[in-house]
Amino acid sequence: MTTFIQMVINGLALGSVYALMALGFTIIFRAAGTMNFAQGSVMMLGGLLVVRLHDALGFWGALVVAAAITAVFSVLEALLLRAAKRRDLASLAIMTIGFNTVALAELSRQIGVDVLTPGDPWGSRILDLSGITVAQTRVASLVIAGVLIAAFFLAFRYTRWGLSMRASAMDPEAAALMGIRRGRLELSGWAIAGVLAAVAVVFLAAFPNQGLSQTTGEIALAAFPAAIIGGLGNPAGALVGSLLIGVTEAAAGTYQNDLSVLGSGLSLIAPYVVMVVVLLFRPQGLLGAKEVSRV
Amino acid sequence: MTTHRATALKADPRVPPLVVEGLTVRFAGLVALDAVSLTVVPGEIHGLIGPNGAGKSSCFNVVSGVYRAAAGSVRFGDAELTALRPDQIAARGVARTFQNIVLTRGSVAENLMLGRHSITRAGFVASALRLPSAVAEQARHRARAREIAEFVGLGAVFDAPVAMLPYGVRKRVELARALCMEPKLLLLDEPVAGMNTAERVAMSRTIEDIRAVLGISILLVEHDMGLVMRLADEVTVLDFGRRIAAGTPDQVQRDPDVIRAYLGTAHDEPEGGDA
Amino acid sequence: MAAGLVVLLVMPIYLTGFWLGVGLFSMSAALGAIGLNLLMGTAGQLSLGHAFFVAVGAYGYAWFAGDSGRQGTVDLHGLGLPPVLAFVLAVLLAGLAGVLFSPISGRMRGLYLAVATLALVYIGHHVLLNAKPVTGGFNGRRIPEMEVFGFAFGDGSPDTLLIAGVPFERLERLWYLGLLLVVVGWWLARNLLRGRPGRALSGLRDNELAASVMGVPVARYRAAAFTVSSMYAGAAGVLLGLVYERIVPDSFGIMISINFIAMIVIGGLGSVGGAVAGAVFVSALPLVLGHYAEWLPLVVPAGMEAAGVSPVEASNYLYGLAIIVILVFAPGGLAGTAQSLTARLRRVVRRGEP
Repeated sequence: MTTFIQMVINGLALGSVYALMALGFTIIFRAAGTMNFAQGSVMMLGGLLVVRLHDALGFWGALVVAAAITAVFSVLEALLLRAAKRRDLASLAIMTIGFNTVALAELSRQIGVDVLTPGDPWGSRILDLSGITVAQTRVASLVIAGVLIAAFFLAFRYTRWGLSMRASAMDPEAAALMGIRRGRLELSGWAIAGVLAAVAVVFLAAFPNQGLSQTTGEIALAAFPAAIIGGLGNPAGALVGSLLIGVTEAAAGTYQNDLSVLGSGLSLIAPYVVMVVVLLFRPQGLLGAKEVSRV
Repeated sequence: MTTHRATALKADPRVPPLVVEGLTVRFAGLVALDAVSLTVVPGEIHGLIGPNGAGKSSCFNVVSGVYRAAAGSVRFGDAELTALRPDQIAARGVARTFQNIVLTRGSVAENLMLGRHSITRAGFVASALRLPSAVAEQARHRARAREIAEFVGLGAVFDAPVAMLPYGVRKRVELARALCMEPKLLLLDEPVAGMNTAERVAMSRTIEDIRAVLGISILLVEHDMGLVMRLADEVTVLDFGRRIAAGTPDQVQRDPDVIRAYLGTAHDEPEGGDA
Repeated sequence: MAAGLVVLLVMPIYLTGFWLGVGLFSMSAALGAIGLNLLMGTAGQLSLGHAFFVAVGAYGYAWFAGDSGRQGTVDLHGLGLPPVLAFVLAVLLAGLAGVLFSPISGRMRGLYLAVATLALVYIGHHVLLNAKPVTGGFNGRRIPEMEVFGFAFGDGSPDTLLIAGVPFERLERLWYLGLLLVVVGWWLARNLLRGRPGRALSGLRDNELAASVMGVPVARYRAAAFTVSSMYAGAAGVLLGLVYERIVPDSFGIMISINFIAMIVIGGLGSVGGAVAGAVFVSALPLVLGHYAEWLPLVVPAGMEAAGVSPVEASNYLYGLAIIVILVFAPGGLAGTAQSLTARLRRVVRRGEP
C-alpha cells in the first residue's frame, strides 16, 4: 500500500512539473497558433542559468534571474517567428524546430557530457510521513507547481489579461476591435511560458533525477503528449493530461518488474503510450472540442 | 407538393428529385435551420433566398455533407444524404460551389481535374507506375475538362494559374469545377456575389445554358433578387431558419411574410455580394 | 539532365571510399526525403516519425535476410530469405507499419498528428532495444549483404571486378543499386504527383473541406499518403543498412526525423528534386565537415578536447539556421529559388532577343 501511495505522490509531483511545461505550450498555442517545439531548449537555458548562477546568487536569486532571462529568450523566439513568410501551421512549427536545433546545439555544447546540479535547497533529503518516504524535492515541486498553476488559472479566469487571452483566441478580429493589443498579448504568453519552463527544469533535474544533462531536454518532450491528451489549447486539459501522464510514468517505473515482459525502460515511453490510447478513442483530446468548420 | 410554372422542364432522366424534409440544424445552442422542407424537382432551377443569417448556407452545408443534421432527412434519389460523408455525397452526383471561392493552387486545368476525382479511378499504384489505363484516363478526362471550360467561357485561361485570374473569372472556375463532377444536382452558393452587372448577366446566361444543355437540377442561393426571380422556376424563402414561403417567383414576391422579412426591399434590387 | 546522369554513373571510378560513403548516405536520405515530401509537401502533414519507418525498413531487412544464431549474449532470429525478396518485404513491412498507424494518421491533422508521430519514434526505440531476438537489442544487428542472381553487392562473388582498371568492391557496387533506387523512387513520386493521387493530396492540403466535397475521401487519402511515405522510408532504411553493414537502435532517434524535415524545407516543400537536393545537403554536411575538420577553423573532430565545435554540432547549427533563413527569406527552398531564378533568366533572355 505504501508503495502505491508513494507512486501516486511521485506521479502527481512529476505530473505537476509536466503541467508547467504543458501549460506553457497551451498558452503559446492560444496566443500564436503554433506548437513550440523549441520549448525544450528554452527549458534547458533556464536550467543552465540556474546551474551557473546559484553559487553567486543563491538558489532563489538564480531562479528569478534565470526565469527572467528565459522569458526574454522566449520572446525573442516569438519575434523571430513573426518574420516567417508563410504563416501556415506547418511552416511555423518547423520554424520552431529550426530554432530548437540551433539553440539545443549550443546548449548541448555548453553542458557537454557533464551532469550538473541545480543547487536547490532540498538536495537529496527525504521526508518520512509515517512510513511513506518521498523526496523533499517532490513535495516542493508539488507545492510550487501547484501555486503557479493555481495562480495561472485564477489569472486566466479573473484578470483582464486572462480575459483578453480568451477573447483573443476565440475571435481575434473582435478582440482587436475592442482594443486588445494582440501583439503584446502574444508576447506576454511566450514570456510566461518561458518562466514556467525555467521552474519546471529545476525539478526535472533535481533529485531523485540525475541532474541537468543533455538528455533533460528529451524528458521535456513528454510534455507534448500531455498537452495533446488534454486537448490542444485547453489549460484544464493540459493539467489533466499532465497529471495522467505523470502518474502513469510513475506507475510504469514502480511496477516495472511486474511488466518486464514488455521490456525495460517502460516509464520512458509511458507518456506516448497513454497518448496513443487516448487519441484512438478521442482524437480531439480528453477535453478538446470537436472542430466545427464553417465555410 | 409545391406548384410550379407550367413550362416543361427538360430534365435528364437520370436526375432524381431532392427532397428535404423537416431539416433541423443546431450549433452550440443556436438553431440554424428549424424543420425546413423543400423539394427540387428534376431539371428545375430552385432559388433559396432569405435575409442574412436565415440559414441558406447551413442548408447547403447539410445537403453537401459539411454539417450534420440534428433532425430531418435529405433524400436524393434513393440515398439519404444526412447519413453520408461529403465525398460519398459527391459520388452520388451532388456538386456545390462555395461563397468564398476555394480553389487550390495551380492552374485552372488542375483545379478542374480535381473536380473529376469522383468519376475517375486511377489509384496510387496505377498512377505511380503510369499504367496505360491511368494515362489514358487522365487524357480522356482532361479533354472533357477542356470542353467544360470552354462551355463556361474559360477556354482561353485553361492553363493559366488561378492565382493570377480576376475575381469574376475565378468564380467561373469554381462553377466549372463543380460541373466537372458531372453532377445531377448543382448547389450554387451566391454565384454572382461581388460581380459587376455585365458579369452577372453573363453568369446568369451560363446558368441557364447549364440547365438547358445538361438538364440537371440547380439549387441556387443568391441575394441578387432580380437574378433569382428571372432564373428560378421555384423559390423557397427562409427567415431565422424557418421556411416562410415557397412558390413561383411571382407568388413569393407578393407574399406579405416575405416582404416583411426583407423590410420592404422586395421591390428594390439590393446589392448582392456581401461578405 | 542526361549529362548529370552520365557523371553519376561514372563517379565510382574516381571516388575514394569516403566520398562513396557520402554519396550512398545521401542516396538513402534522398529516398526517405522523397517520401516525406509526399507527406509534408503535397499532403501538407507534419510528421516527426519518419525515423521510425526507416528503422522498420532496416531492421526488417536484417530479420528477413539474416540468419538465426548467437551473437554475443543474444540469440538472434532471422528468416534467411534471399536478399532481394527481403528487400521487398522490408519495404512492404514499413508500409504495413504505416497502415497500422492509419487510425491516427487518417483522422488527425496538423499539430495533433505531429505530436502523435513522436510516439512512433519513442515507442519504436523502446521496441528496438527490447525485442532482442529480432533486433539484437542495444548492440544492434549485422546487415546481410545484398545479392541479386548471384551477383553480390559486397566484396566477393565476383571476387575481383575491374572496371576501367578500378576494383569495384562493395561500395562501388552499392552505388549503382542506390542510384537505381533513387531514380525509380523519383520516377514513381513524379508520377504520383502529376496524377490523380497527387491532385487529391494537394487539394486536401489547400482546403480539406473543398476536396472532400469534390469526392476525395479524406481519411483514406491521408492514411495513404502516410503509408506511401513510410514505404519510401523503409527503402531508405534498407539502403542505409547495406551501406553501414550494422544497425543500432540509437541511429534512429528523433534527430533523424528532424534531419528529414530539414531536408524537405531546405530543398523546397512539394518538389521531388528539391527533396533530393535537400537530402544531399543535409547528409553530406556533417560527413564533409568531419573529413575536413583539421582544415576548417572552429570545427574540431568529434571527441577531441579542444576549442571548437564537433562536425555534428556544426551541422546542427547550420541546418537550424538554414531552416530559419529559408522560412524567412525564401520559403520555396532551394527548388523554389532555382525556379524563380530560371524564370528571371528566361525573362532577361527573352528581352534581349530581337
